Amino acid sequence: MTLSRFLLRRLVFSVPVVIGVLFFTFALVRIGGQDPVALLAGPTATVQEIELVRRELGLDQPFFVQFAIYAQKVLSFDLGKSWLSNKPVLGELLDRLPVTFELMFWGILLGALVGIPVGLHAAFRVDRAFDQISRFVSLLGFSIPTYWLGLVMLFVFFFLLEWAPPGMGRISLIVTPPPRITGSYLIDGLLTANWEAAHSALSQLVLPVICVAIVASAPIIKQTRAMAIEVLGRDYVRLARAAGLPERAVRGIVWRNALVPVATFIGTEITGLVGTASLIEYVFAWGGMGQYGLHAITSGDFAVVQGYVLFLALFSVLVFVIVDVLGFLLEPRAGGGS
Amino acid sequence: MSAAALPPSARPLPSRPLPSRSLPMRLARRVVGIARRSPTLAIGAGIILAFALLAIFHGWAMPHDPVRAYPTEVLKPPSARFWFGTDGNGMDVFSRVIYGTLYAFGIALPSVAIGLLLGVPIGLWTGYRGGMFDETTMRVIDALRVFPIIILALAIVAATGQSLVNVIFVIGLIDAPIFVRVVRAEVLALRSSNFVEAARALGNPTWRILFVHLLPNALRGAIAQTSVRAAWAVRISATLAFLGVGIQQPTPEWGAMIRQGAEFIVTGQWWVAMFPGCALILLVLGFNMFGDGAQDLLDPQRKTGK
Amino acid sequence: MTLLTVENLHTHFVSRSLDNEIRVARALNGVGFSLERGRILGLVGETGAGKSLTALSIMGLLKPPARIVEGRIDFEGRDLAAMPPDELNRLRGDRLALIVQNPRASLDPLARIGEQLARVHRAHRKADVATAHRRAVEMLAAVGLPDPERRARSWPHELSGGMAQRVLIAMALINEPQLVIADEPTTGLDVTVQAQILDLIQGMVRARGLGAIVITHDLGVVAHYCDDIAVMYAGSIVEQGATRDVLADPRHPYTINLVDSTPERLKIGSGRVFGGAPPNLFALPEGCHYRLRCPRATGACAAPPPWVAGVGGRLTRCHHLEPR
Repeated sequence: MTLSRFLLRRLVFSVPVVIGVLFFTFALVRIGGQDPVALLAGPTATVQEIELVRRELGLDQPFFVQFAIYAQKVLSFDLGKSWLSNKPVLGELLDRLPVTFELMFWGILLGALVGIPVGLHAAFRVDRAFDQISRFVSLLGFSIPTYWLGLVMLFVFFFLLEWAPPGMGRISLIVTPPPRITGSYLIDGLLTANWEAAHSALSQLVLPVICVAIVASAPIIKQTRAMAIEVLGRDYVRLARAAGLPERAVRGIVWRNALVPVATFIGTEITGLVGTASLIEYVFAWGGMGQYGLHAITSGDFAVVQGYVLFLALFSVLVFVIVDVLGFLLEPRAGGGS
Repeated sequence: MSAAALPPSARPLPSRPLPSRSLPMRLARRVVGIARRSPTLAIGAGIILAFALLAIFHGWAMPHDPVRAYPTEVLKPPSARFWFGTDGNGMDVFSRVIYGTLYAFGIALPSVAIGLLLGVPIGLWTGYRGGMFDETTMRVIDALRVFPIIILALAIVAATGQSLVNVIFVIGLIDAPIFVRVVRAEVLALRSSNFVEAARALGNPTWRILFVHLLPNALRGAIAQTSVRAAWAVRISATLAFLGVGIQQPTPEWGAMIRQGAEFIVTGQWWVAMFPGCALILLVLGFNMFGDGAQDLLDPQRKTGK
Repeated sequence: MTLLTVENLHTHFVSRSLDNEIRVARALNGVGFSLERGRILGLVGETGAGKSLTALSIMGLLKPPARIVEGRIDFEGRDLAAMPPDELNRLRGDRLALIVQNPRASLDPLARIGEQLARVHRAHRKADVATAHRRAVEMLAAVGLPDPERRARSWPHELSGGMAQRVLIAMALINEPQLVIADEPTTGLDVTVQAQILDLIQGMVRARGLGAIVITHDLGVVAHYCDDIAVMYAGSIVEQGATRDVLADPRHPYTINLVDSTPERLKIGSGRVFGGAPPNLFALPEGCHYRLRCPRATGACAAPPPWVAGVGGRLTRCHHLEPR
């Protein structure tokens, strides 16, 4: 099977999922027994505005016509308007996407760079001290509330030790942000040779990135360990041992075979992590998409809530496709070769 | 480490009752045996038990009324009178942390029960029947994976009106697909086994096969998940409260307490957020450890790699 | 010349039950045999009799909770049972090699065939990549794979079961071992391919003068390909000798049962059906392990049975036989 055929097939399979996602977000503002118009137009809407929204959504029409109207609006990139800012939801989300991306990218990268070796190391010595400790640490990572972790980090590194800046956004208040190129202050600062801005952005990044990494590494450790243990039990590893390959070579075989499923797993975790990380954004006043979405939820800005959930869900559909394609390319069995 | 790693003929026979031992003695040996096999499970069970006792005897354990404000004692650090200090309203953090166990269990237990009540029958049915219904259910459950769960829970609670009952129902609803998946897998493995075939041949009605023959096994397989879901329920309900969704101040709930403490922690009054956070972590960790250990015990291959 | 002597080998699984009681599964109970250079020994018995476990014990591939508690494994003058793991690992794939069942699952799915063979060669010989690759291609040709250059570049998933088994044989023989153990090498292969694989193993072993152990539950395989036979029951050898002698005139009640229950013999057969529960390794009977299933069992069988000599060096472990 060629890559293009695989991709096509994969995309076709995603269509029902996308329809399901659309239906779900459509239903989100209609399940509570509350008036969807009231939810979407917001508490400050005037009578005329409410009427306008009601007609736009086609609420006098039958249910499925309403859904068709919603789907059509989404397909023409109209996710509605926030009543708080009176701006289109999609634009607001896209504005903040690079901000969240910056945090997630470094956080997940760090989490994987720590989690994968730890998980492998534990799998090679099941039930020994290192395994027991890493297992406990991983369970602890599953158990720590992210926001509390952020608060404790701030208390220790900002208040007690004074190593870190306060958790108030992505750059110090007294530093002028660099002009927007990528949306990441760190990279934009480096690109424009604005060392002061880059340095400030970097020091603001450290704590939240470590928080994301801790949260991300717990499932990565657990999954890597489980995958590696599974591979260790496979016939080809036993044969490698029977053929007297040195332990290093055996481990090489194990980790290469565990890598694809682990990478797939990390891919499927990304969206969940964006959700979890939004609490870290909230604590550090990061100003990204996650904080924006949380703020919308707590302030009842339902056009944004609906748009945010839809955006994340469609994003993970895309990530799943990318992960599958990568898996296809890495697996000789699937025809990609390496 | 386990009998399952042996060749088939080496597996132990069904254990015979040991004639010379009394019941408490045998019970004690079983407890020690399980604790040896999985210390994780034992520690987890111990933590859960300790918190359960705190919840039951909260009235006796709390030195102060958890919502009584001492206006002259606002934000006092831990002392002999207030072991965990006082919060921004002058309430005793220690008493509030203890009272918080009631909220933790009070939300986790019913929501997991709802998840089980919904998920187990659907899982039994889809697994046993297969076909279109199974296919559709599984596709829907697969599709649900694209939503980030925390955001989903928050959004639904916000959209359905913020009340404690809604929080419980939403957590239960989100858990249900997970139980469907676990129970279905268990049933699929058992569907064509001898004892189910025999039950069918004897003319048992379907409901009887499902609930009498398959359910006990399916539930055994769901034990580990149940504990992990309880951990998640405690965590997510605290998260909702931390954001002020569902549970409001000054309810003595851990998440709500951390929310208040968040204001003070960067100015050095760490105790307001620290102690409820530690209690939260400890209980969630207990549930997670119990679940992890139970999984090892039920599925030894997972641990040893066969 | 003796290549391998196994003496009084005991391998146990030690575990704890949920009731915190130590449970010991006595999986091997004093296995002993010896193998001459250039001969093929067939190890037969029902599932769980300890055939594969004997192979794993010799190769030092036991995993906890299984371990050798007693016995000697004398190979080329050294005791494998007492050898440090590292040293034994250097012998594996070099002086002694294993051919396993399920060949397709036994190849690393992420490495090309040639690379996998070269990997084994280079683990034991100082060879550069190019030399190792040449050696790999040479071995692929030797096991009768057409177009070995191209095969060396194949991925495991591109091979049929029979081809994969030939690759495993090539891999086992690449460092010219002295002892080859084939653990059910034809299970899961097509019937027509089975004979080819066994012919190949036999041919290679004969041509190189190696000692070989073939583990199987198929008496037909033993009859066609093995010089000697050892019959195992509940972790012990109950009868051993030259294949022709043992199969023509089985003396141990278990061997008689085994031979009778093989399809070709059933036609002539005595009508006895192979039956009874497999032995419980946690609670083996004292004395002769077979006595609970044995038609000839008497009170005497509660004592450990003696080895009784037969014609042509045959040994049978039973109370009810007279030496011949």
